[in-house]
Amino acid sequence: MSTARRHAPKDTLERLLAGPVVWIGLVLLTAFALGPFIWMLLTSLKNRQELYATPLQYLPVHPTFENYVEAWTSPVTPFSRFFLNSLWVCSVTMVATTAVSVLAGYAIARFRFAGRDALLLIFLATQMFPSVLLIAPLLTQWRALGLIDTYQALIYSNFSFTVPFTVWMMVGYFSSIPRDLEESAMIDGCNHFGALVRIVLPLAAPGIAATAIFAFVVSWSELLFAISFTTETNMRTLSAGLLYMVGQYEVQWGQLSAGVILSTVPVAVLFSFLQRHLIHGLTAGAVKG
Amino acid sequence: MTSLTLATPRTRPLISWRVRKLLIGYSYLVPAALCLLATVVVPIFFAIKMSLYADVLYKPQDYKFIGLGNYIRLLHDPVFWLTLQNSVVWVFGSVFLQFVFGFAAALLLQQAFRGRALVRTLTLLPWIIPGVVVGLIWQWLYQPNYGVLNDLLIRFGAMSERVAWLSSPDYAMAAVVFTNVWRGIPFFAIMLLAGLQAVPDELYEAAHVDGAGVFSRFWHITLPLLRPIIVVSTATRIIWTFNYADLIFVMTGGGPANATQITSTYTLTQAYSTLDFGYAGALSVVLLVIMLAFTWFYLRVTKGIEEPE
Repeated sequence: MSTARRHAPKDTLERLLAGPVVWIGLVLLTAFALGPFIWMLLTSLKNRQELYATPLQYLPVHPTFENYVEAWTSPVTPFSRFFLNSLWVCSVTMVATTAVSVLAGYAIARFRFAGRDALLLIFLATQMFPSVLLIAPLLTQWRALGLIDTYQALIYSNFSFTVPFTVWMMVGYFSSIPRDLEESAMIDGCNHFGALVRIVLPLAAPGIAATAIFAFVVSWSELLFAISFTTETNMRTLSAGLLYMVGQYEVQWGQLSAGVILSTVPVAVLFSFLQRHLIHGLTAGAVKG
Repeated sequence: MTSLTLATPRTRPLISWRVRKLLIGYSYLVPAALCLLATVVVPIFFAIKMSLYADVLYKPQDYKFIGLGNYIRLLHDPVFWLTLQNSVVWVFGSVFLQFVFGFAAALLLQQAFRGRALVRTLTLLPWIIPGVVVGLIWQWLYQPNYGVLNDLLIRFGAMSERVAWLSSPDYAMAAVVFTNVWRGIPFFAIMLLAGLQAVPDELYEAAHVDGAGVFSRFWHITLPLLRPIIVVSTATRIIWTFNYADLIFVMTGGGPANATQITSTYTLTQAYSTLDFGYAGALSVVLLVIMLAFTWFYLRVTKGIEEPE
């Protein structure tokens, strides 16, 4: 839009708004968003003395990675184990959720059937479901099935919030792919599933990737199920493990800040790769086109 | 089959093509339906059933049907009413500020400048990281003795004494709301940015030629065209914030003295700490009803704005 505006002469107010106001605003915005992270990063690099110095010491004079090493190898709060638990739970959730939502999304986008609109509404409504509401009943359910302290309990529970959203995302992607291609493939003798696998999936690949990443990122953040359905330290995920680190003894802010940074990096990296697609997917349900 | 089959005439299938297509469609839906059945639908019925029983996990001998007993207890529970009030403050405080700052952020991020993609990604960070991480970061910033917030405020002369933000009944709610605002600004920024990018440039150009100033263009073009996305994003955000328990649970656990206890964290406390499943079930059903009322209202408001397909 800036190119379009360039043709018309600007008034003073507009020039002011486009110049200093925008720059100051951007600096403030970035500082506000990143400040807390930077403080956490600085904290994680300080040794104990610098961490609890009075008056407050802003920069680590002798930057050290010992907090990271301690957090990663601690026998009491095995952060490396938490990390691997999260990696496994989120990966399986991601793969299963993606498979399920590709099929459902395709069916909703392509087939006319009775109850289609009702189904869409159900998927939309379940997106808004509070996890807290499900904790007590799911706990009873997993206990009855003997799934407490298993990865399955966490993975299945994650479906309750990943699937409704990813189905909705996939419906949006499939609707944006023209039907003609599959129809001609089917005329050429492909069956429905063949057309889906050979024609539609490659075209929808970016959308599917975004959906997968979304499922991974939201499961990575999951806390309440993880603390409710696991009791063993070794079964805790990152979120639950971080909380466990707080509850253990007096809070070790050095280790904790290292843990915070380590938990942030994977999602931040994943997200930056797929930001464009993810944003498209998130807004596809809200704005058509 | 290969593409050669084009020439050979199809034999009439046993089941008609339409029915088959329908069956295929339904079969694609089965996995998703099963997932939701097992993790959402069945648990909700469990929750309703639980709410009708005296069901405290460590008192199995007292387990019995008590009808609406838990609901009656709820009506007489002053903490429950307090949590509803707190929820209103929490939801509207958070969403209003997130919206205002998110809109400002969207307008800023829409401008053309060098490194825009990087700045967009960086400013989204607070939104994508786990809630427990957000809670811990801010707990550390708010820490009374070693927290940077107190230090900065005293250094710049805004305060003379250290404040224990999260353990003071006066400040705790404001402190958690502020944290939630930090976290939620990117959500509105993304949604509104997507909306802004969909506004055709010609509209602004035409308005400019007609002599409309920058504020008038914002008021008469930007806002009306963004209306659908504003309604949708605000409504989803309200519902989501009402249900969101992680942040408060991590930062204050609802304290001090229930000053930050909202309905969802109260439900969580009953299920997770007190292990009173009957009461937690009743609270869950209340949450569910409030949530459905919100959603119904939301669907009515957005009807015509948002049509899937």
